[in-house]
Amino acid sequence: MAREKFQTLTEPMFYILLTLREECCGTDIMTRVSALTHGRVDLGPGTLYNLLDSFLKAEMIRETGVSGRKRSYLITKKGRETLAAEYRRLLALTEDYKSCVGEEDLK
Amino acid sequence: MKNVTYRWNTFQLYDYRGVEEHLSAMAAQGWRLEKASGSLWKYRRAEPASLRYAVTYNAGASRFEPGPTEGEQSLEELCAAAGWEKVSDCSKMQIYSTEDPAAVPLETDEALRLENIHRCMRKSFLPGNIAVLLLMLFIGRDFFLALVTWDLYGMLKNNALLTAGVLCLAEAALQLCLLAGYFLWRRRSRRSVEEGGTCLPAGRWSRWANLGMWVLLVLLVAAFLLSELDRGHRGAVLYFAVYMAFFTLINILMRGTTALLRKKGASKTSNIAWTLVADFGLCFILIGGLVWTRFETDWFSDERPTGETYEYRDQNWDISPRQDFPLTLAELTGEEYGHVRREAEDLGSVFIPQRAYRETALLGDGPKVCGLGYTLWDLSSPALQDSLLEDLLEDDPIKFRGMLLTTLRYVPEDPVPWGAEAAYRRYYDEDPGDSWLLVWPGRAASVSPDAEPADTQKALISARLAPEDWKEETP
Repeated sequence: MAREKFQTLTEPMFYILLTLREECCGTDIMTRVSALTHGRVDLGPGTLYNLLDSFLKAEMIRETGVSGRKRSYLITKKGRETLAAEYRRLLALTEDYKSCVGEEDLK
Repeated sequence: MKNVTYRWNTFQLYDYRGVEEHLSAMAAQGWRLEKASGSLWKYRRAEPASLRYAVTYNAGASRFEPGPTEGEQSLEELCAAAGWEKVSDCSKMQIYSTEDPAAVPLETDEALRLENIHRCMRKSFLPGNIAVLLLMLFIGRDFFLALVTWDLYGMLKNNALLTAGVLCLAEAALQLCLLAGYFLWRRRSRRSVEEGGTCLPAGRWSRWANLGMWVLLVLLVAAFLLSELDRGHRGAVLYFAVYMAFFTLINILMRGTTALLRKKGASKTSNIAWTLVADFGLCFILIGGLVWTRFETDWFSDERPTGETYEYRDQNWDISPRQDFPLTLAELTGEEYGHVRREAEDLGSVFIPQRAYRETALLGDGPKVCGLGYTLWDLSSPALQDSLLEDLLEDDPIKFRGMLLTTLRYVPEDPVPWGAEAAYRRYYDEDPGDSWLLVWPGRAASVSPDAEPADTQKALISARLAPEDWKEETP
């Protein structure tokens, strides 16, 4: 069964929202996500465009300015809450892992 | 050496992999995509190169939007930053290319790609696909009904119905296959993505099915037109040719209207509205005018093979009546007529040849006329004969404004005087009429003289209209 949209975030979603805590445009998002994850997560422009469009429709980000073809965005309160909820979910997953396996296996 | 070439676009909207592979292969051969609008894609000659092509989808793209939308410009900007250059767009499909083998792919989230493709399919392809399917079922309803009830005569009784029926059936089957193919692809791709894989290749069958449909269309229309020409129906062929020319012209003018309004910067709503107005106007003028011409003039009527006529007592009569009638009025009645008009027409199909004969003669110096009409069906199998008889012998209620006037029906009578295997007389409710249906193995004839024939006349009718092998067996 399909999960509800944005109930959990995929890696690209998570990093886009994380990056948009500071105002930036699409090309900056691609650069920052790649730098932040040391190249582990690459955002394709098509994927980024569609996610930005979905976030705008879900009012999780807002457009802050247009300069030529460049558009800048910033996370909204709803976006921050979603990001925080995802962080808490990831923490819970981590805690569950630790309580079951401990940290021995990570070494 | 030509610098431009065209290829027929047979890719489904969701077949992004097929498009990418095809364009890369064309670039390697020295042909780069220049424009991908509509069914014909345009390529320009260039140095053979190893180019990467990628397709992404923009659900908001529309051919009615003025110029590139803000969304398209935004996407183009992002792609340019990642090293991708916009090549063209086709409907909601946006095509990019790059020479950089290390450029980040346009799509890095397969689940999102699948969702986006489905959004585009829901907006453009699926409504059109379902509309075509319903239209085909509506146009071909008589043929489909005959097929479902296995009414052979209903299916094969005339070339136009048979051609249109087979085409509608093939097109409906194609649309059903395309619908099923898409949903199957989507289900399998979703499973693959959930397991961490990518969307799956669309498969080549849909491209072959599309091509096959065009080949079938061309072959069937050619067969239909040749068959009509062979039977002397030049008017029908001319009408069909003009109809198709107008249809193509309307299509071109409609697309031209949309493109012009787009260029002038008209909004999407006004573009759609004006295109619809242009469409209805053109259809009304061209197709409406054509239909009017067909009924009000003789531009599309077939030439009379008998040639010249003369006018007498307000009617046209043949100067040299045709001599290929198996039975004439003079032979049947033993009278001589000074003014005669003979007409014959092929009405059936290649499977059930049907030829109708009609002769009218002036009685004496007029003004009364007498006539003889008969129709012959040649039936190559007992199954076709049974099907034809089932159709002809069915009661035929005649209604006017919903009120039943009379019921036409055939009642069996003694076939011996007719020299036939079976004979039926037509009745109007309980009143006998002057029409008979005669049946021999491999042939049926409907005969309508002006009055009930005497036994000698019945024998003459049989001698002239029965098939040769029957006459040899029963001298």
